[in-house]
Amino acid sequence: MSSDGGMWLLALGPAGATGLYWALYRYYRNTDKSHDFEHETAVVAKPVTGSERDQKVDEVKGTQEKRISGDNVRQYRQRVKRIQGDSG
Amino acid sequence: MPTTPPPIPPPTGPGSPQDVPPPRGSVPIDPATLPQPIRDELQAPDPVAIDTSAAELKDGLNRCPKCGSTEIRQKPGTDLLICQYCRHEWHGEGVEEEFGLGEGIDQLQGTVIASGAKDIKADTASLMTFKCPGCGAEVTVNTANAMTARCHWCRHVFGVNEQVPNGAVPDAVLPFHIKKDDAVARISQFVDKRRLFALKAFKEQFTPENVVPVYLPYMIVDGNASAAVAGHGEIETRCYTQGSDDKKKTYYDADVYQVERQIDFTVDDLPLESSSERGNLDTRANTNNIINTILPFDTKNAVKWNASYLAGITSEKRDMDVEKLRPRLEDELLSIARAQVEKSVSRFDRGVRWEQEQLSVHGTRWVSMYLPVWLYSYHQPGPNGGMLHYIAVNGRTGETMGSVPVEQWKLLMAALTVGTFLEAIALFLVGHSS
Repeated sequence: MSSDGGMWLLALGPAGATGLYWALYRYYRNTDKSHDFEHETAVVAKPVTGSERDQKVDEVKGTQEKRISGDNVRQYRQRVKRIQGDSG
Repeated sequence: MPTTPPPIPPPTGPGSPQDVPPPRGSVPIDPATLPQPIRDELQAPDPVAIDTSAAELKDGLNRCPKCGSTEIRQKPGTDLLICQYCRHEWHGEGVEEEFGLGEGIDQLQGTVIASGAKDIKADTASLMTFKCPGCGAEVTVNTANAMTARCHWCRHVFGVNEQVPNGAVPDAVLPFHIKKDDAVARISQFVDKRRLFALKAFKEQFTPENVVPVYLPYMIVDGNASAAVAGHGEIETRCYTQGSDDKKKTYYDADVYQVERQIDFTVDDLPLESSSERGNLDTRANTNNIINTILPFDTKNAVKWNASYLAGITSEKRDMDVEKLRPRLEDELLSIARAQVEKSVSRFDRGVRWEQEQLSVHGTRWVSMYLPVWLYSYHQPGPNGGMLHYIAVNGRTGETMGSVPVEQWKLLMAALTVGTFLEAIALFLVGHSS
């Protein structure tokens, strides 16, 4: 094992302590819970359209990031720029 | 005599469809300056699409169809009403079938509001007074927290069945199914699993028998909407490592795509808190998210409003109108749309970054409903009035969720102990490797 790897291991203590604190705190207080309306509401949807227009616009070479920056595909509740539509 | 046609309004500018529309319900001129018939028409209340009021119960008395007694209760564990004198049992009318609420959601256009979900009139009081037909006494019901009262002279039971304009009477009520014993057992079980780090005072004062049944106000919304989202997605084309041993690093190449998706969808019975206090889910200031978590309810089984279901049960009055709840609904519809399109972008294995979204709500239908919740509450003293912790049980499904106050020093000690232990292992490993 090199000295670099060893230094990284030293973070284990503080990380473990913080992780345990938050995990237990959430288990008791459940501050992260809410109604999962995205999946528990009866939704009838027509097939999703638009996939035929997917267009390659750029290439990324040699990035170390595992995911696209700003990935929000599963962050349904994170609002992005709203283009106004008509609302009845 | 030839008449000159009125000038055609310009396509842009003031008064054209391109102009910013006036606020909903506003009139450009002061109605007081207009002749009486026009003024009456302008100021008449908007027609209600679905009238859910129960005219037969308007005098406040709900009589047993068999013996005429007003001593009527809900039979525990069922949706039946039972007469306490002759034991006759009957079922309330299902609101879904009575008013066709589950049908035609994909055909919804505009905003359809049931009569119990109408805007709350600001000048109406919470107190309602009934004149008892039996003895002439006056019986007052405080609609802010109760919907039934008993005449203290002749023991008639009164219920607020008339749809009062203060938002206290909803269109429908979903009766309790979970009995008190069951709710107590569920709350005890929930807390028993969280005792080690619970606040000492909470453990000492914990008496699950103090759980109370409460009817909380919700708007149940059906919606017909379309949504569109746009952004960028990436597909991995190559993954390679460079360097050796501990200098090894992984690199990725990817193709970037412009991604757009559209979806048309309907939602059935989306529940929204119609009390502004309960709808505030700020977990730093309150624990209302606990009550939100026990949603959804089987709202298809709700019965037409009848105050007899609320005998002996407290209730909370609605204070939010449809227009105030609309931003919340649109927010939830956008989230639902985003969840719906997720599968269609699965080929972008490095994820998608949505950058723009659009929502068109074609039609909505709003029904005001009381939903049954067993609530156990504990007030934890502290700065800014402390924190009110709830443990809530869904009165239909039994789903239980709660917030148990934490003894901070115990939790910190445990975290530090575990941290120290892990650090000792880390130091041992580092020491032996160098």
